[in-house]
Amino acid sequence: MIHHVADMDHRPPPGMGGWMPVEATIVNIQQENFNTRTFTLRFVDESLCESYRFEPGQFNMLFVPGVGEAAISISSSPYQIGAMDHTIRMVGAVTRGIDRIGVGGVVGVRGPFGRGWPLNKLAGKDVIILGGGIGLAPLRPLIHWLLRHREQCRRVVLLYGCRSPEDRLYAAELEAWSGRSDLDVLVTVDNADEHWTGPVGVVTNLLQRIKVNADQTVVFVCGPRVLNRVAAWNFLQLHVPPAQVYVSLERNMNCGFGRCGHCQYGKHFVCRDGPVFCFADIADIFAKEEI
Amino acid sequence: MSQTNASNQKYFLPRAGLEPLVRILRQRGYTVLAPTRRDEIISLAPVESADQIARGVHDHQDGGRYRLTQADPEIMFEYVLGADSPKRYLFPPELPLVELRVRGNRFVPTSQPPAIAQYAFLGIRACELAAIKVQDRVFGHAGQDTLCADAAEYYRRTRRQALVIAVNCTRPGGTCFCASMGTGPAATEGFDLSLTELRDGFLLTVGSQAGAALCAELEIRAPTSTEEGLAEMKLAAARSHMQRHLDTRGLKERLEQTIDDPNWERVAARCLSCGNCTMVCPTCFCFTVSDSSGLTDGVYGRTRRWESCFSHQFSYVAGSGPVRSTIAARYRHWLRHKLCTWWDQFGVSGCVGCGRCITWCPVGIDLTEEASRLGRHVPGAGVVPIPKAGGTKEALP
Repeated sequence: MIHHVADMDHRPPPGMGGWMPVEATIVNIQQENFNTRTFTLRFVDESLCESYRFEPGQFNMLFVPGVGEAAISISSSPYQIGAMDHTIRMVGAVTRGIDRIGVGGVVGVRGPFGRGWPLNKLAGKDVIILGGGIGLAPLRPLIHWLLRHREQCRRVVLLYGCRSPEDRLYAAELEAWSGRSDLDVLVTVDNADEHWTGPVGVVTNLLQRIKVNADQTVVFVCGPRVLNRVAAWNFLQLHVPPAQVYVSLERNMNCGFGRCGHCQYGKHFVCRDGPVFCFADIADIFAKEEI
Repeated sequence: MSQTNASNQKYFLPRAGLEPLVRILRQRGYTVLAPTRRDEIISLAPVESADQIARGVHDHQDGGRYRLTQADPEIMFEYVLGADSPKRYLFPPELPLVELRVRGNRFVPTSQPPAIAQYAFLGIRACELAAIKVQDRVFGHAGQDTLCADAAEYYRRTRRQALVIAVNCTRPGGTCFCASMGTGPAATEGFDLSLTELRDGFLLTVGSQAGAALCAELEIRAPTSTEEGLAEMKLAAARSHMQRHLDTRGLKERLEQTIDDPNWERVAARCLSCGNCTMVCPTCFCFTVSDSSGLTDGVYGRTRRWESCFSHQFSYVAGSGPVRSTIAARYRHWLRHKLCTWWDQFGVSGCVGCGRCITWCPVGIDLTEEASRLGRHVPGAGVVPIPKAGGTKEALP
């Protein structure tokens, strides 16, 4: 049973289902932390800038000629037309390649791929968003969407954890969100510095600071493998129903549409059936190693 | 290729009629792919004459073992499969997808889409037809999957043009278990013509309109009832002589419960993680599109290559390493995919019972043995014995 029904069904535009990536110019690079930057891309083709749409939680395959492709979440607001953000940690050949290209250079894009966050599941509910490290990137479009449709749900809580205050993604935006009355933001760090006055510790500790109306809560989680697991368990222990817990997973991806086989996770192709999964659909394998 | 609603009309084709068949196919523009003897194995390769088709040999296959021996020089098809399958031609091991140059802020394609060959598969077996049907689902031959339309175009176009002249197996190989999987030894669908070898020729069955059209040009006659009866007998004998079996009753459901089975570690102790089984498997479809750059000409290539889930980098995630770092996890993934999760993904079994993964495994790991052991472990009861070969025969269709 797939609990997950996307309310927007964005398929790649014509010509983007094949193997020829579409050109996009890097128009801005924002340093997030020591190895992570946010690249703002704009399609060279103006008509594509206008027509390109994605669901929060979907990803693109970004291409560097001669080097390869990497699956990168789209991290800008789905309502921002004309340019989109990809927050990238420079840990592989392709991501370092993108970094080398720099502002004004061109990368290739195929996408958007996958299923995003279930935006049709949160009417009248409390929403808890839990992110760890770069896991905030695929959650950012969701937060922008929620702020646009704020009347649909009750409380919206963002719990974010990262290694240190300097490692926070979107630091200025986090500050701005913290000031809002319609969004509760709690940020914790593993290692504080002398200026840090917020909580210290793992992000799941923040659950002790909030009231969770288990039945009435929908949870969105994205972080490293271990965090995903611990966070999901914590929410289940708080009696949030498994069908209301959603997790975004990271896998090796090559094609983006469920054919190359790399991202298989049990019976699922993460690129096609995910990357966002309902816990109820993966409960049998979620706790298992090396699936 | 095949319309199964065609007549199933039967004829007798003398052995000498094979040469005209190859000639006619070539005249019609087909590249005729047939089993040939090369490097002491049976290899599916282009032939220009029926003389080039392997004949007069028997194959002896077992776990990690493949040998050819001389046999009656008149008999053509008393061997089964080599390592190659039609997969090599419909889903080539290496396929250039696009080549491009970077001109300013544009990617300019410099290559034409790969040319589509017109293949006539002559002498492929029932299990291979079943494997083609499985790959049809994987690559969306039915056309239901618009998302990968471009990506699977090569498969679909090659497949649409292909002609199949199947051969029914009258002498099963040592690692065959098609009868268990319900895919052989006789081809029942998916062919244009099928041949069952008799003493001095073939009982020919028409499987499609295209096959019927071919027949019009062949020197054939109506078969005698003896010939029809003999063909039936030979196929029944082949079925009963099959040495390996896999009990498929409840297999998928049983395998669903095997993630923590201790037998994975046992297999892993023998498995070299070489990936041979995935390369010879006629249904394995995993691939990697890799990028290259011409150092002097500025042309960037994107090439699709077969990939194996047994390779360490298959599941590699930059920054956190491979998801399946152990051989046990990789073997578990492969076997459960073949026999269990393939059903969820494509509505069929990923295994057709061809036995190649057994023959070409350098350490002779036997899929039928491993699968029969799994999910039957009782803690403290020691190793689960393998059910005796043939023990499930009565249950077969």
